[in-house]
Amino acid sequence: MITKSRRRRISASVRYVVLTTWAVVAFFPIYWMIATSFKPDTQWFAWPPVYFPHPPTLSNYLNVWFGAEQYAATQYAISSQKPLISLLNSTVIATASTLLAVLFGSVIAYGVSRYRILSETRMFQLLMLRMIPPIVIVAPLSLYYSALGLLDSMTGLILIYFLTTLPYAVWMTKSFIDEVPREIEQAAEILGATRWRTVFEIVLPLIRSGLVATFLFILILTWSEYLLALIVTKTQVTTLPIELSKYQGTTEGRVYGRQAALAVGITIPLMIVGLVIRRHLARGFSFGMVRR
Amino acid sequence: MARIELIGLSKSFGAVAAVKDLSLAIEDGEFVVLVGPSGCGKTTTLRMIAGFEDPSSGDIRIDGRSVNDLEPRDRGLGMVFQTHALFPHKTVAQNIEFGLRMKKMPAVERVLRVREVADMVRIAHLLEKMPSQCSGGEAQRVALARTLVTSPSTFLLDEPLSSLDAKLRRELRAECDRLHQALKRTFIYVTHDQEEAMTLADRIIVMRAGEIVQIGSPMEIYSDPVNHFVADFFGSPSMNLIVGEIVQMNGVVRFRSSPFELTLPGHLGSVRIGPATLGIRPEHVGVMTGEGGDFRLAVRLVEPLGRDTLLYFDPGSERAFVAVSKGLNMADVKVGAPMALSLDPQRLYLFGADGKRIGRGPTQLVD
Repeated sequence: MITKSRRRRISASVRYVVLTTWAVVAFFPIYWMIATSFKPDTQWFAWPPVYFPHPPTLSNYLNVWFGAEQYAATQYAISSQKPLISLLNSTVIATASTLLAVLFGSVIAYGVSRYRILSETRMFQLLMLRMIPPIVIVAPLSLYYSALGLLDSMTGLILIYFLTTLPYAVWMTKSFIDEVPREIEQAAEILGATRWRTVFEIVLPLIRSGLVATFLFILILTWSEYLLALIVTKTQVTTLPIELSKYQGTTEGRVYGRQAALAVGITIPLMIVGLVIRRHLARGFSFGMVRR
Repeated sequence: MARIELIGLSKSFGAVAAVKDLSLAIEDGEFVVLVGPSGCGKTTTLRMIAGFEDPSSGDIRIDGRSVNDLEPRDRGLGMVFQTHALFPHKTVAQNIEFGLRMKKMPAVERVLRVREVADMVRIAHLLEKMPSQCSGGEAQRVALARTLVTSPSTFLLDEPLSSLDAKLRRELRAECDRLHQALKRTFIYVTHDQEEAMTLADRIIVMRAGEIVQIGSPMEIYSDPVNHFVADFFGSPSMNLIVGEIVQMNGVVRFRSSPFELTLPGHLGSVRIGPATLGIRPEHVGVMTGEGGDFRLAVRLVEPLGRDTLLYFDPGSERAFVAVSKGLNMADVKVGAPMALSLDPQRLYLFGADGKRIGRGPTQLVD
């Protein structure tokens, strides 16, 4: 006879075992990446695998990020690497295109939510745009970009990221705007606020947690985008994902340690952003809303 | 100063006509209450005056000037919403200040004015709080202050008290009344609560299915309803309405129904023969413990309210026949036992099969 409390304890244990296993499976690659980034080159391919770098070294980081002379001379040096510049490029491009997408997206979403400027069908078509595999648009895009002189420029990449993420921004922000009671806006209106004023002073501040969530979602997309960046940029403007790809399958062989050091560097900024805005992400959207 | 005229105002949402050809003039400084069951078009009418809905046809005039094409902010009106609609991300003071900022009033003046209005509605202690920290009653006071501060010519109030409990509602009702007395502005108040309408209004506009049914002072509406609907809607407990027919026997006009039959008084003596509904307010039903009266009915339920006692009788239909009784010896009242009832002949109402009042004489005022 199994008592109720005993049954509860068993089911809790099972739950924790399953969740822990899953956590290990999910986090192992991340751990492996971090561990590899601290391994000396002899341990990258070692068999049996080396789980803990011994002794841990910063040489991968120094080589990749700062191109230190003594490391540049080794067989693993890569002539074209310029990760710091790529980091700057990625930061500017991802931030700018995400800000644009969220700004325009929320204004369009407001129009859809309040004025039905796009019908349900049009809204769905907007989302469908995102379902077109990017590879399909790559060829025409590079033709246009070459004609417009946008190839290999920050503007070109910002523009294409802005346009491709706009549908997400519209869809996400619309769901938040829909939640803002009309009466709050009407109260502002009858008190003398213009429509734009109402949007920027009342509606957008009210959905700020939603805007932050949308911002982070799109930032992650643009930060890690690879295919479009590969086509649109050549040598002048490279982003971090492009930089990362240079460490694999090139004539230099597989430089796992360096690649891992770069990958860690790519991950950290997103983690910082996530931590900074966690408060907003976690805060329930309904915070401070009208009691109904 | 604001005199508001609605001329042939209609509003349809698709195939549904919410307001039908409504015409009405609201005088400057008047307290008008639009009242009716939900879906009667009262809120739609108010929202058209505010400018949130465009009329399908008809004209809205403020002081003789058509405002149909004006934005809400240009109409010089103030509105208090059912949900109070405070800005949740601004403090109470910032909420109140908002309208003044939109009017580009200098900051120093704004602070003084916010203070003044906050004192007027007794919320000075709340100024630094967030709306989420205010109780329902406080929030509605803040909403009132936010509207007051811009000194609108007319106050539009859309069921402002419906989300509050009974005690707060009475308190804020008195507040509304006080403000109206003090400000001498036009108030247009929408409610579905007949009691609110009765206590606040200079003039009540009863609406049903998008149309005005009756306009009048609270007393007129109460004591001289034009039809079955108005008679039933006003008064708590509601008027007793007994379905029956008017018959003529030996030259005497009588009302006959299943629970009772009685001879109609002189002022109703000339009505036509046929189906009709007899109405009498509970306070005009006499209850006697002994013999006599017009008829006898069994007691279904007794509700002592302190000063008065409500007696529910069983007239053989679902809806009880109600009498208000004062100073009745409760020992004489037994549930299930029949009691003698008498109807004040001067307070009888008759409604025809179409619901219209019949034999409506000169206004019968209740003392």
